[in-house]
Amino acid sequence: MKKDKIIVAVTICLICIILVFVMTVQLRTVNETNITLIENMREDELKEQANIWKSKYEETQSKIDEDNKRISEYQEKLENNQETSELLNTELTQMRTILGTTDVLGEGIIIYLQNGEENIISEDLLKLVNELKLAGAEAISINGQRIINLTEIVDVNSYIIINGQRVTNPFEIKAIGNQKYLTSGISSKGGYVDSIQSQNKNITITQEKNVEIPKYSGELKLKTIKIN
Amino acid sequence: MNNKKIGFLFGFVCLLLTFAIVVQIKTVKSLGVETNVSFAEDALRDEVLKWKEKYDNASVELSKTEKQLEDKRKKASQKDETSKANEEELKIGNTVLGLIDVSGEGIEITLKDNQTVTTETATSDMSYYVVHDIDIISIINELKNAGAEAISINDERVISTTSITCAGNVAQVNGEKVGAPFIIKAIGDSNTLYEALNRPGGYIELLNSWGIVTNIQKSNNIMIEKYNGVINFKYVKDAK
Repeated sequence: MKKDKIIVAVTICLICIILVFVMTVQLRTVNETNITLIENMREDELKEQANIWKSKYEETQSKIDEDNKRISEYQEKLENNQETSELLNTELTQMRTILGTTDVLGEGIIIYLQNGEENIISEDLLKLVNELKLAGAEAISINGQRIINLTEIVDVNSYIIINGQRVTNPFEIKAIGNQKYLTSGISSKGGYVDSIQSQNKNITITQEKNVEIPKYSGELKLKTIKIN
Repeated sequence: MNNKKIGFLFGFVCLLLTFAIVVQIKTVKSLGVETNVSFAEDALRDEVLKWKEKYDNASVELSKTEKQLEDKRKKASQKDETSKANEEELKIGNTVLGLIDVSGEGIEITLKDNQTVTTETATSDMSYYVVHDIDIISIINELKNAGAEAISINDERVISTTSITCAGNVAQVNGEKVGAPFIIKAIGDSNTLYEALNRPGGYIELLNSWGIVTNIQKSNNIMIEKYNGVINFKYVKDAK
């Protein structure tokens, strides 16, 4: 009778041990799969990366196709001794638009910045231009001064100098690009608009179907640069 | 009587354990789908690599076609003065845009976070002791003001659409991640650039006061590579 009891107890003990073991294994598996959940987030990042490289590749490829087309056009005209000035003009027009030496228009936003209790300084404009570029702005002007790749925005005494020209309060900043991206780019929580308002300066944004931005009116001269 | 009690108890414990195991298995099964993700992820990694490689190859090819186009353009525009002038304007324009490799005299600036400060020794917020996007933006702006004709940050050419954003010690320039130390190269009159940055009350002095290590060197031969991408505008139209 006593022997029987011991056998039962041992068997049950054994079963318990096995069950506990199985449970531990299970728990571990669950823990491990939690790691793959983190890697799941990486998956989104990977997708994003793949898309970035893909669109970069496509842009480059279409530029190559465009170049090749132009090369063969030049080649053809050269062989037949035809006028090539038209081809050159097309290239020139395209370059000028990107560079900023032509008047342009397109959808975008207009931002009005005005002195409040505090004055607007060049850093406010620099930050704004940077935010707009980040949001995909293709052309920007401040009080009629087109922002090109050589443009400086600096404080001199109580003025702000842009492209060597004096600009004064209030400031009208025009930007051409996707209205939605431009607006949300600067008006997110704790973003540019919030930061300007917290410094007691005034800012308003309007979305426009047709923003007109004037050309850069200075002369482009390169003195020290050498083209390789 | 006692035996019955024990049997009942064990039966109960077994039931509980079985229940626990069933729950566990179910959880693992529902997560099981995601263990397959690592396969999908490997495929994604391959895809990222594939597109990057394709882009790199295309980028090399683009450099070649650009060169060919330039040669053809040059040949075509030898005939008359207007064409020559147009070709020159195109060349200057593309240089300003950052689409051509360039070299010349200029300066090289190195920015490094404060290396010695710790949370104990800091007298202000720790963020003052590291390089920020606005620091880089301000230096680029001072360089432009001093007449810099081409600028790069860690070999990323600064073009008209370049934005600079910071997260931790990594900055994004042209959408590419670049890490500290930040090396800014600029082509222009090296003395003017040097003096402009080093002037009392200038931005470099401000950075130095926070212990941010700045090193400025003049050079006769700064090389700056072209923008590693294509400028593609969708919204801008020429006003007629």
